Amino acid sequence: MSRFFYAKLAATNLKKNAQTYLPYILTCIGTVMMYYIMVFLAENKGLGKMSGGFQVQAILNLGSYVIAIFAVIFLFYTHSFLIKRRKKEFGLFNILGMEKKHIARVLGFETLYVAVISLGAGLLGGILLSKLIFMVLLKILNFEVPLGFNVSGPALAAALVLFAVIFLLTLLNTLRQIHLAKPVELLQGGQTGEKEPKTKWPLVVIGTLSLGAGYYISLTTQSPLTALSQFFYAVLLVMVGTYCLFTAGSIAVLKLLRRNKRYYYQTRHFTAVAGMMYRMKQNAVGLANICIMATAVLVMVSTTVSLYVGMEDVLRTRYPQTIMISAPISTQQSVEGLQRSVHKVLAKHRLVVQDRLDYRYLFFPGNQEGGTVITAKSKISISNATSSLREYYLIPLEDYNRLTHKTVSLGDQEILIYSGSSKYENDTLTVLNRTFTVKERLDSFFEKSLERSSISGSYYIVVKDMDVIKTMEATLAKENRNESSGYNYYLGFDLDAGEADISAVYQDIRTAVGSDYPGSSIESPVAAKESFFAVYGGLFFLGIFLGALFIMATVLIIYYKQVSEGYDDKARFEIMQKVGMSREEVKGSIRSQVLTVFFLPLVTAGIHIAFAFPIITKLLAVLNLTNVGLFAWCLVGTILVFALFYALVYGLTAKVYYRIVSWGTSV
Amino acid sequence: MTILEVNNLKKVYTTRFGGSHVQALANVSFSVEQGEYAAIMGESGSGKTTLLNILAALDKPISGEVLLKGKRLSTIKEKEISAFRRENLGFVFQDFNLLDTFSLQDNIFLPLVLSGKSYEEMTRRLEPIACKLGIGDILAKYPYEVSGGQKQRCAVARALITKPQLILADEPTGSLDSQAAEGLLRLFNEINQEGQTLLMVTHSVKAASHAQRVLFIKDGEVFHQLYKAGMSDEVMYQKISDTLTTMATGGGRHE
Repeated sequence: MSRFFYAKLAATNLKKNAQTYLPYILTCIGTVMMYYIMVFLAENKGLGKMSGGFQVQAILNLGSYVIAIFAVIFLFYTHSFLIKRRKKEFGLFNILGMEKKHIARVLGFETLYVAVISLGAGLLGGILLSKLIFMVLLKILNFEVPLGFNVSGPALAAALVLFAVIFLLTLLNTLRQIHLAKPVELLQGGQTGEKEPKTKWPLVVIGTLSLGAGYYISLTTQSPLTALSQFFYAVLLVMVGTYCLFTAGSIAVLKLLRRNKRYYYQTRHFTAVAGMMYRMKQNAVGLANICIMATAVLVMVSTTVSLYVGMEDVLRTRYPQTIMISAPISTQQSVEGLQRSVHKVLAKHRLVVQDRLDYRYLFFPGNQEGGTVITAKSKISISNATSSLREYYLIPLEDYNRLTHKTVSLGDQEILIYSGSSKYENDTLTVLNRTFTVKERLDSFFEKSLERSSISGSYYIVVKDMDVIKTMEATLAKENRNESSGYNYYLGFDLDAGEADISAVYQDIRTAVGSDYPGSSIESPVAAKESFFAVYGGLFFLGIFLGALFIMATVLIIYYKQVSEGYDDKARFEIMQKVGMSREEVKGSIRSQVLTVFFLPLVTAGIHIAFAFPIITKLLAVLNLTNVGLFAWCLVGTILVFALFYALVYGLTAKVYYRIVSWGTSV
Repeated sequence: MTILEVNNLKKVYTTRFGGSHVQALANVSFSVEQGEYAAIMGESGSGKTTLLNILAALDKPISGEVLLKGKRLSTIKEKEISAFRRENLGFVFQDFNLLDTFSLQDNIFLPLVLSGKSYEEMTRRLEPIACKLGIGDILAKYPYEVSGGQKQRCAVARALITKPQLILADEPTGSLDSQAAEGLLRLFNEINQEGQTLLMVTHSVKAASHAQRVLFIKDGEVFHQLYKAGMSDEVMYQKISDTLTTMATGGGRHE
C-alpha cells in the first residue's frame, strides 16, 4: 500500500466532512488566537512597567486560565460531536477491511492536519491581532500607546503546548471509542431506537426548588456584604435548577400537555408536542449549557461595561471630596496643627478650599441586633449574620450644629441618628454599655460626608459632646484590649483646579501630614484614578474578550445542534409528507419547533437575569457602583446585542438546516 | 365503477446536471375498478415506484393522466393536494414509515389530526379497525417496541382510518418474515372482501398471488396481465412464476 495512502485518505475525509469540520477548525483557530493574545498581554513586559499595569496583568492572567479551561472542555465537546456523526464512516472502513489500527492512523493524520492548520492560522492571526488588541487595551486603560511590534516567545510556547495536548487528548478519546466499538455498532452510529423519555419527578421538584431558592436569595438579599457571600450560592442553585428543569421539567410539561387530549389532538399541537419531546430529550443538556453560557456572557459583559462606563460615578461615590483627610487625634491642639499644615500647602499652591467639611468622630464596626450594638471585635461576625454588620460614626453635637447651622440641644442620654436608606426602628440604642434615647431620626446628614462609601451600611450618631465620645472610646479600648485607634478628625474639601494641580496638592499634603500623624489616611480621586482605570479597565477588557469567546462557543453549539437535527429530521419530514402533510405544513411545524429550541435558552437567560438584577446591583455597590440606572441600560444594551447575534446565527444555521432537510426530496 | 384510471403515463428522469435521460415510464395505461384488489409486478428498475409516486401525486408525469374517481390529479391545486391525498388515498410502505416520536395510536391518528377531526371521532373510528387488525393491546406502545408485523398492521390501520377510496401498498411484505407477510396478505384479502379497493406494488410472487389481478410492467410499459378469477392461490402462484420467467428470458409480448 502506498506510503501516502493514509495521509491522502485523511485529507479526503476532511474535505468530505467540510460542512462539520470547517466550523470546528474555525473555532480551533479562534480559540488559539484568543489564548495567544491573552497570554501575550499577560506576559507583556511593557504593560507590566506601566503604573497599574500589574493589576491589569493579574486580571489578564486569570483570563488566560479561564480560556485554557474553556478550550479543553469546549473543543472536546465539539470534537465528540464530529465523531458521533462519523461513526458510520469508520464502520464502513472497518467492514471494507481496514483494521482499527489503520483507522487510527487515518485519524492521526486528520488530527495532525487540523492541529497544524489551527495552530498555524491561529498563531499567525494571534500575532497579527495582538498589536491591535494591545492598543485597544491600552486605550481602555487610558495608558500611553508605545510604538513597536513584538512576538511573545512564552505566549507562543504556551499556546503550542496547550493546544497540542488538547488535540492529542481528543485523538486518544476518539481512538478509545472506536477501539471499544464493534463494526456493526459503528455502522449503526447514532441510529439507535428512540425511547420515550421518562418523567423524572424528583428532578423536576429539585429543579423547581433550587431555582426558586436561587431567585429568592437574589430578591431578598438586602446588604451588599451578604450579597457578596450569597451570590455564589445563588448562581449554583440557579445552575442546578436550569439543568434539572431543562432536562426533566420540559418533559414533564410536554407530557402534561399530551395528557390533555383536547389540546394534544389538534393539528398544530400534535406534531409540535411530540417533536419537542424528542428534541428536548436529545438537547436538554446542550440547551441548558447555552442558557447558562448566555447568562454568564450577559452578566459579565453588562457588569464590566457598566463599571467601566460608570467609572466617574464610582470615583465620586468612593471619594466624595477632592481631598479627604482622616487623622487620629488626641487633643484639640493637634486638630489645629493639622488644619495649619493643610492651609500652608494650599497657600503655597494659591488654592482656595471649597465645600469644606470637618468634624471629629469615633468610628467602630459592630453588629446591630435590635436596639443593641455588639462591638467587641471577638464577637463581631462578618460571615454569619453579615447583614447586621454596620459601621458607626459617633459625632459630637458641637460639630453637627456647626456644620448644619442648627441649634439642636441634647441631654447626656440623647442622640440623633441617621441610618441612611434603612430606617432605624427602635426608640433606644444600647452601645458600649450605655443606653441612649433616640431624640430624632434624621432624614439627611451633612451633604457630602454621608456619601463616604460603605458596603455594609453606616450609622451616623450625634451625641451630646466630646466627653461622651471619650468615655465611650475608653470602653471600646477596654473591650478590645487597647487596640482602639482612638477618635479621629476628618477634613475634606474640594478644589477648583486641574488634575495636575490637585495631584501636586495631594502629594504635598501627604508629606506634610503623613509624618506628623501616623495612621492618618489621605485620599483623592485624582490619585486613585489610575488604579481604578487599571482594575476596571482590565475587567472591562476581560469581560468583552471572554464574552466574545462565549458567544463563539454558543454559536458553534447551536450550529452543530441544527446540523445534527437536520439529518434526523430529514426522515421525519419525508414520512409526514407521505401520510398527507403538505410541504408548507411540515416546514411550518419544523420552523416553530426549531425556533422554540433556539430561543428557549435565550428567554430563560433573560428571566435569570431579571431575577439576578437585585443581587447584581448590590454586588456592584460593593465595587462602589451605585448607579442602578446605568447598569440597567448596559444590561439592556448587552442583551440586545447578544440577541441580535443570536438571531443572526439562527438565520444562518436555519439555512443550512433546511438545505439538509429538503435535500433529495422528490416533492 | 372505475376508481382509478391511468392513461398513457410517461416519465423521464434527467440526471442532476442534465446529462443522461432515464426513461422510467414509457406508456402505461390501466384502470382499477371499485372493490378490486390489483397487484403490479416488475423487476427492480421497471418503474414500479415511479408509477406509485405518480398515483400518489407525489410526482408528476411528463405526459398522460391519472384520474381518481373521475377527477384528474393534475387539475388539483398545489395547496389542496395534501388534503386530497389524505382524504382519498391510504398508504402502506415497505419500511412502515411510522414516526418514532409518536405512540402507535398517535401514528394511526396522524392523518385524522391533520384533517382536524375531534378526539372522540378518532377513537370511534379506531375501535373497529384496531379490533379487526388485532392491535388493540399495543396501541400505547412506540414503533421501536413492537415487531415488524405489528408495525405494518399499524401502518394499515393508519391507511384505513381515513376511509380512503384506494389503498396504495408499496412492497408491504418487503420487510416482513414469511409468517408476518402471510398474516398481512390475509388481512389485505379480508379488507378487500369488505369492499376496500387495493393497489399493491410488489415483486414478491407470493404477495401478488393473493391479488385478483396482476399487472406486469417491463421497461416502463404494461407487459401483461393475469386475472385470478376462480384460481387457487397456488395455481395463481405458478402462473405468475411462469410469466416472470417468460419476461426474464425475453419472451415476446402477449396480451
